[in-house]
Amino acid sequence: MRPTKPGAMSPVRARRRSIPPALFAFAILLVVSISSSPVAAVAPSLTIVSPTEGAVIANGTPVLVLFQVSNFAFVQPGRVGQIGSPNEGHANLFLDAQLVRLLTDVEPFSLSLTSGPHTIQIQLVADNGTALNPDVSASVRVVATLGPGGGVPRITILSPTPLESTGHGIYVSYRIENFTLVEPRGQPNAPGEGHVQLLVEGVVVMEVIQYEPVLLVSLPEGDITISARLVNNDNTTLTPDARANVPIHVVASSAVSLPLVSNGGVALLLAFILVVLILRRRKVAARPPNGQGGNP
Amino acid sequence: MNARVLAFIVVTVGVLILSGIAAPNVRAASAPTLSIVSPTPNAVIGNGSPVVVVFAVTNFNLTDPGNGTSSPDSGHVDVFVDGGWTANASVNTIVLALPSGPHTIRLQLVTDNGSALNPNVTASVAVMVTLGPAGGTPGLSIFFPREGALVGTDSTVSFRVTNFVLVAPGGPAGVPNEGHVRVLLDGASYADLTDDAPLHLNLKDGAHTVTLQLVDNAGRPLNPDVSVSLLITVQALVGRVTPFDATPYLALVNILLGLGILAAIYRKLEAK
Repeated sequence: MRPTKPGAMSPVRARRRSIPPALFAFAILLVVSISSSPVAAVAPSLTIVSPTEGAVIANGTPVLVLFQVSNFAFVQPGRVGQIGSPNEGHANLFLDAQLVRLLTDVEPFSLSLTSGPHTIQIQLVADNGTALNPDVSASVRVVATLGPGGGVPRITILSPTPLESTGHGIYVSYRIENFTLVEPRGQPNAPGEGHVQLLVEGVVVMEVIQYEPVLLVSLPEGDITISARLVNNDNTTLTPDARANVPIHVVASSAVSLPLVSNGGVALLLAFILVVLILRRRKVAARPPNGQGGNP
Repeated sequence: MNARVLAFIVVTVGVLILSGIAAPNVRAASAPTLSIVSPTPNAVIGNGSPVVVVFAVTNFNLTDPGNGTSSPDSGHVDVFVDGGWTANASVNTIVLALPSGPHTIRLQLVTDNGSALNPNVTASVAVMVTLGPAGGTPGLSIFFPREGALVGTDSTVSFRVTNFVLVAPGGPAGVPNEGHVRVLLDGASYADLTDDAPLHLNLKDGAHTVTLQLVDNAGRPLNPDVSVSLLITVQALVGRVTPFDATPYLALVNILLGLGILAAIYRKLEAK
């Protein structure tokens, strides 16, 4: 056994003293290792910047979708010799759960929408088309309409004017504001679009999608009320109700009373002729039989 | 080293060499593929929306046409609709605006100079485009006047069409959820309507049956048939206030007066 030098540390003590620095160094390495691990540092994220949740896409225009991605590289799928990595791939775009586009870059894109509510979803996928694990996707709900984006829908009857006397058939003209007329064919409701209902005495007699005057015929005679209201695609009334009423007075046209007047006139004429004939007959009967008159 | 060990080494080395030669060949021989992800075959594209074609390729680099580098494993996609070249694409989504009717969309991988690959790589899908909705059952109803109503000579029939788009006749037959409305008056064809404006009628007095029927672009009834009938009675003076119509009595008086005049004239002539 080798003798220990005076003042020198024994091997056991030296080992004990070297343990804490070693542990410290190991801890640092561990922390550095964890903090630099790919899982913690490069988890992909996806955000739809525009449109915002619940946005109304007005006037039938396409919606411009703007999104941001971090920690994910967009690459063209299917390249020659492609070897996928966890943080690269492309994105699938779903409109109402239907795949409508494959995105290979983060450029904004426009999307045509039919009237009604829609859900736009973007999902990051790997090169082979499989979803990431965990799934990275973002979605936003919007409402598309052919109508204007804002303003209160309103309808005003321009003709006939209140208490106007009309015949049995009249043209009704109206003005519509903040509302677009579209053909109802069972599509979903959308704000600011629909059609016009015309009512006579509260009964719907016509549904039209025209801005030009509408002819109403066979109106009942007397004091009646004509109404025009804006309704949704499914014929429900708007909230708040957009309606205009106008009271009018319907009278018979001259054409209707003509037979009565003409028959009465002819009867008077015939009666006059008959009276004249009878009077002349009596006058003739009152003359003397010699036909000389009253002078001798 | 005996002979068995030597043979084992030779065989092992041979296998390694062969596998090394074969592996690159497999990678090099991987042929490009093309598949259409969306739409699905025979999909109905409703509301006249453009057809969005999403496709996937493998072992092929999509490049913008005309970049000058033509190789068998890079290029773009030529798009053919109903046999005719329509567009090219170097991205995986193509938007095609197509008219109503059935269409066949075919995609073909081509090199940068436009020549087809060898062997040819194509994919196709058949779709149906309609101006009407993609789904739903067509419906038709008359909401004015009511069944059995008494109407005047001039009257209107207002109706509603759902899940069906009215278009001018003459389009391609067999397109779902689009066509027009056929009007039959007392069983005879009266009119074809291509919009849902109210039907204006001018009818003689009496009972009449108005039938509306949805038909396709070729004029054939839908299957199942979608039609609705309405019985109305026409009376000329309906809606007019006539508490006492003296016209027939005046006519009788006219006749009596005429007879009286004739009698008076006769007696006058007889007296002469």
